[in-house]
Amino acid sequence: MSPSLFFLLASLLFSIGLVGIISRKNLFVIYMSIELILSSINLLLATLSKVLGDASGSVIALLLIAVIAAEAALFLAIIIHLYKRHKTLDADKFNKLSEVN
Amino acid sequence: MPDTNTLELTIFSILALFMLGGSLTMISAKQTYISAFGFLVAMLGLAGEFALLDSRFLAVAQIMVSVGAIVILSILTILTINAKEENLPNEPYKFLWIIGTAILIAPFTFLLYNVLTLLPEHFATLEAINSKVVGKLLFSEWVLPFEIVSILLLTAMLGAIVIARDKVKGAKR
Repeated sequence: MSPSLFFLLASLLFSIGLVGIISRKNLFVIYMSIELILSSINLLLATLSKVLGDASGSVIALLLIAVIAAEAALFLAIIIHLYKRHKTLDADKFNKLSEVN
Repeated sequence: MPDTNTLELTIFSILALFMLGGSLTMISAKQTYISAFGFLVAMLGLAGEFALLDSRFLAVAQIMVSVGAIVILSILTILTINAKEENLPNEPYKFLWIIGTAILIAPFTFLLYNVLTLLPEHFATLEAINSKVVGKLLFSEWVLPFEIVSILLLTAMLGAIVIARDKVKGAKR
């Protein structure tokens, strides 16, 4: 088993997350794509932990899981707030800050 | 020895198929809860990959936090909001967008993979990273980031409560 397979999987997942963020309008899909990107970083950290023979990578990945949890709580709260106000999940509809005048 | 290698490769391929299939379902499904189930499958596959990488504690933490808390919380929110067809965004050219973006990002993926393969080609021989090793490191070398993360979690919790709170009292005034 060589680490390059894990590297390939991590880069593919990162790119799928990036595609999801750019191409979709649904707020939930954007949120889950961000989570997927962070999780691919987690996979990379765990792989490097084994490649370098140092358990610190696993510890960083563990801390990153906590950061992902915090991000999930905030993002879901924002989605609920926005949905209560506008009754839509379309990210293009939330353009209040872009009105210049 | 080759037998173990083949077995590992098979398990890796199955888990990788789970993850890629789940994430592709996630970004392409129209209904939000189908996306959430794709995300669930991807996170379960990731926990399996962690176990394959001998990061046992990380695999357990992934199942407990990511699958048990984050994904279930997302599904719960999606089912609570219960968005009707007209509340979902109208995306007539969704697959065109996805394919176009994928073509745009493909060179970046290639670059990322090539940069990552500059790293060592073999795994170091290392005993399994169990909770004992992780706990010792977490409370000696990584104790300051650990405390910062705990403050971050507290702040995020307060922020989530403030943002999602009902503004009924404010509306009456």
